[in-house]
Amino acid sequence: MFFYYLDLAWRSIKKTPLLSLLMVLAISVGISTTITTLNVYQLMSVNPAGERSDKLIAVQLWSQGKDAWKEFNAQVTYQDAFNLRKSDLPVRQTAMFVTGLAIQTEDADFSPLLESVRVTDSDFFGMFSVPFLYGGAWDKSVDTEAAYQVVINEEINKQLFSGENSVGKTLFLDSKPYQVVGVIKTWNPSPQYYDVTTGAFKDSAQLFVPFSLAPIEEFQSWGNNQSWKRESMDTYSDRLNSEMHWIQFWAEVTDDKQRDEYAQWLTRYVEQQQLLGRFESPEAGAQLSNVAQWLDLNEVVPEDNKILVGLSALFLLVCLVNMLGLLLAKFLKRAPEVGVRRAIGASRNQIFAQHMVEVGLIGFCGGVLGLIWAWGSLSMLSAHFDLEESLTHLDPSMWIIAPAIAICAALIAGTYPAWRICSTNPSVHLKSQ
Amino acid sequence: MLHIKPIINTLMRSKSGPILLLIQIILSVAIVANASFIISERIALMDRESGTMEEEVFDFRLYAFDSDIDIESQSPRDMRAIRELPGVIDATMTSMVPLSGGGWSSGYTIGNSEETAKDTESAAIYYGDDHMVNTLGVDLIEGRNFYAAEIVTGSPDLATHAIVSKAFAKATWGDEPAIGQIMYAGDFGSQPLQVIGVVDKLQGAWVNSSYLDNSVILNVRLVNVFTKVLVRAEVGTLAQLKEAIPAVLHKDQPNRVIEGFTLISEHRKRVYRNHELMATVLSMMVVLLLLITSLGLAGMVMFNIERRTKQIGTRRALGAKRRDILSLFLVENYIICIVGGIIGGLVAVQLGQQLMTFYSLPKLELIYPIVTVAGLMVLTTVAVILPARKAACISPATATRSV
Repeated sequence: MFFYYLDLAWRSIKKTPLLSLLMVLAISVGISTTITTLNVYQLMSVNPAGERSDKLIAVQLWSQGKDAWKEFNAQVTYQDAFNLRKSDLPVRQTAMFVTGLAIQTEDADFSPLLESVRVTDSDFFGMFSVPFLYGGAWDKSVDTEAAYQVVINEEINKQLFSGENSVGKTLFLDSKPYQVVGVIKTWNPSPQYYDVTTGAFKDSAQLFVPFSLAPIEEFQSWGNNQSWKRESMDTYSDRLNSEMHWIQFWAEVTDDKQRDEYAQWLTRYVEQQQLLGRFESPEAGAQLSNVAQWLDLNEVVPEDNKILVGLSALFLLVCLVNMLGLLLAKFLKRAPEVGVRRAIGASRNQIFAQHMVEVGLIGFCGGVLGLIWAWGSLSMLSAHFDLEESLTHLDPSMWIIAPAIAICAALIAGTYPAWRICSTNPSVHLKSQ
Repeated sequence: MLHIKPIINTLMRSKSGPILLLIQIILSVAIVANASFIISERIALMDRESGTMEEEVFDFRLYAFDSDIDIESQSPRDMRAIRELPGVIDATMTSMVPLSGGGWSSGYTIGNSEETAKDTESAAIYYGDDHMVNTLGVDLIEGRNFYAAEIVTGSPDLATHAIVSKAFAKATWGDEPAIGQIMYAGDFGSQPLQVIGVVDKLQGAWVNSSYLDNSVILNVRLVNVFTKVLVRAEVGTLAQLKEAIPAVLHKDQPNRVIEGFTLISEHRKRVYRNHELMATVLSMMVVLLLLITSLGLAGMVMFNIERRTKQIGTRRALGAKRRDILSLFLVENYIICIVGGIIGGLVAVQLGQQLMTFYSLPKLELIYPIVTVAGLMVLTTVAVILPARKAACISPATATRSV
C-alpha cells in the first residue's frame, strides 16, 4: 500500500509542479538555515573531554584584594600554582601557560621557526589523553628537578627530523639544546578546553616543555596577564612573586568524594594564605569546575550562535506555516477527486494515509535539498570568512538529523490539511462535479 | 468605493487560509525587525574608523632569541635600515598594533591632591618614539609630537611625555585643554606624565572594549627580545617589503625570527570577522524569509483565484470592472497585512525585549518593526498583483461556462 501511495504522491506532485516546487523550496530553505546554525552550535558546544569530563577539574582562586575584580579569574598566580602542585590529593595535576620560542636544529641551514610552546607538567599528557606516536611524557621527577626535555608533535617531527622516530635527538629552543622525549600524534581538541583564555577555537601548541624550567629559562607569557595590584615587575622573579594571574591550573580526581576532599584541602589552603596576609577579600575561596561546567562558565559558545539558532528555529516555523497554507490549497483543490475515491470505497484512514505519504515525500525532498543548501552555505561562509575548519564541516549526524527534521516538520504541517480533506463529506464534492 | 464588509465576510467564511497568512506575517515581522536591527548594529560597529592609514601601515614580529644580541644598540640600527628601504614612508618599534586584538591597556590617576585624585577611563597604551605619529598616519590636532631627544630607551615606567587621543582627552578633562595636563601612571604623584599632544583619532587593539577610542602614546622605546615593528609604506609595496625587510635585518644580525607581516586593514578584517559573519548570515536569512513569504502568498492567491473563478465571473457579469477585482484581492491582503503587522510589531518588541534580557543586545528601536511592516506591505502588494491580474482577466463567459 505504501508504495502505491508513493506512486500516487509522485503523480500528484507532477500534476502541480509549481506548487510542489514552492513547498520543497520553502522547507529546504528553512531546514538549511536551521541545520547551518545548529551545526556550528553543536560543534562549538561539544565537550571534547567525553567521559573524562567529570574527572578533570579546573581550579580557580579568589586571591585578589578587597576592591579588585568581582569574580573568579580563569587563571591563578605563579605562587599559588607552585603551592597547589605540592598537594598529593588529586591523582594528577598540572600548571601551565603558553610561551613562544625559536626552534633551530643542528642543521645550520635550517632557518629558525617561531612556534608557540605550552609550558606544562608531565601529568598534562595523561590527564588530557594526548596520544603518543613515539616515546612519552618526560619523567615525573623533571617536574621538580628541571631538565631540558621537550615533547613535539608529528608535524614538527616531520619538518625537523623528516618524520622518523626522533626520541633522544636534540633540537634547540632559543639556542638551548633540548632532548626530544616524545612525539605526539596530531591532537587538536575543539574547543581547546584546557586553555580557553586566549580563544577556544584555535590550534593546539606544537611543542611542550617542563613547567619547572620556567623560573630558570624565564619563559615569557604569550597568554593573558591580569593584575589587580600595581606592582613593579622589573625581573622575572618579581613576576613569579607577584599577584598577577597568568597560569592555568587543572587537577584530576577519581570521584565526587575525592573532589570534595580536594575542595576542603583548598579551603584550608586559602585560610593558611590568609594568615600570611594574602587573600584579603571576604569572598576569598576556591572554585572547582569540571569540563562541562568550565565550558559553560567561560561562555565558549558565543551569544551570537544562540541568537542565530533561536532565530533560525523561528524561520523554520515560518516556512512550515507557509507550507501548511500551500498544502491546504493544494489538497482542497483536489477535493472532487477525493470525493470520487471515497464514493467508490476508500476509507477515511486510507485517504489520510495517502496524503500523509505525499507530505512526507515533499518533506524528504526538502530535507535533502536543504542539506545541499546547508553544505553550500557552510563552505561559502568558511571560504569567505576563513573560519576554522573544525567549525564548518558538516557534522555526520546532520545527514540523519536534517531529513528527520524535514519529514517530521512536514508531517506536522500536513496533518491539518490531510485531516480537512479526509473529514469532509464526499457527497458535497460529488455534487459540485 | 471599497467594499470592506463583504471582503471581511469572505475572509471569515474560510478562516484557515487567512489565519495561516496572518501567522506568517506576524512571525516575519518579528524576525525581520529584530534581525535587521542586529545587522545595522553590527554594521555601525564595523564602520568605526581606527584613525590610522589602514592600507599603508603593516606590522611584523621581531624575535631576537640569541642572548648575545645587544637589543639597545640593535634596534635603532634596524629602524634606520628599514626607513631607508624604497617605498617605506616611516617605521617605528611598538608595543601594540591597532585592531590587532592583543596589547597593553591601563588607567591613570589625575587630580591636584591625593584626596581629590581619581582614576581615568582605561586607555590603550602605545610605547613608541618620535616616528610613531607619522608611521600610524594619525592626525595631530593640538600640541606637538615628541622631540627625538625626549625618547627614552628601556622599561615602560621611564615614560614622561604622552600624546593622547581626542576621545581620551574629552573623557578625562572635558572641555579643559588637555595640553600641559599631568596624569600619573601609578597612584597620585607617582610617575607623572605630561600631555604634549592630542591626535584626532586613534583606536586601541580591542574592538569589543568600551574604551576603544581611548589611546595614549608614551615616549618609550621598549627594550625586549620580542618586539613588534610598525611600518608605513606606499600601497602595494608590502609583498616586496616582506622579502626586503628580513633580508636587510638578517644581513645585520641573522639570529632572529622575522614574521607575521600584516596590514592593519587585514587585522580589521580579522577582529570584526564574527560581526561580519553574524551580519551576513542574518541578511541571508532576511532575504530568504521575504522571498519565501512572498512566494507563499502568491501561491495562495493563485489558489484562491482558481477556487473563486465562479464568484469573480459572476461579479464581472454584474458589472464589476477589472480594477475592482484587483482591488478586492489587494484589500484582502492589506487587511491581513495590517492586522498581522500590528500583532507582529508587538511580538517583535517582545522578542527584542527577551534578546536584550538574555544577551548583550541594545533595546530594539521602534523604527525597525515599522519599516518592516511598511516593507512587507509593498512586497505583498507585488506578490498579490501579479496573480490577481490574471483573475481580473477572467471573462464572465468563461466563468459561467465552468459552472
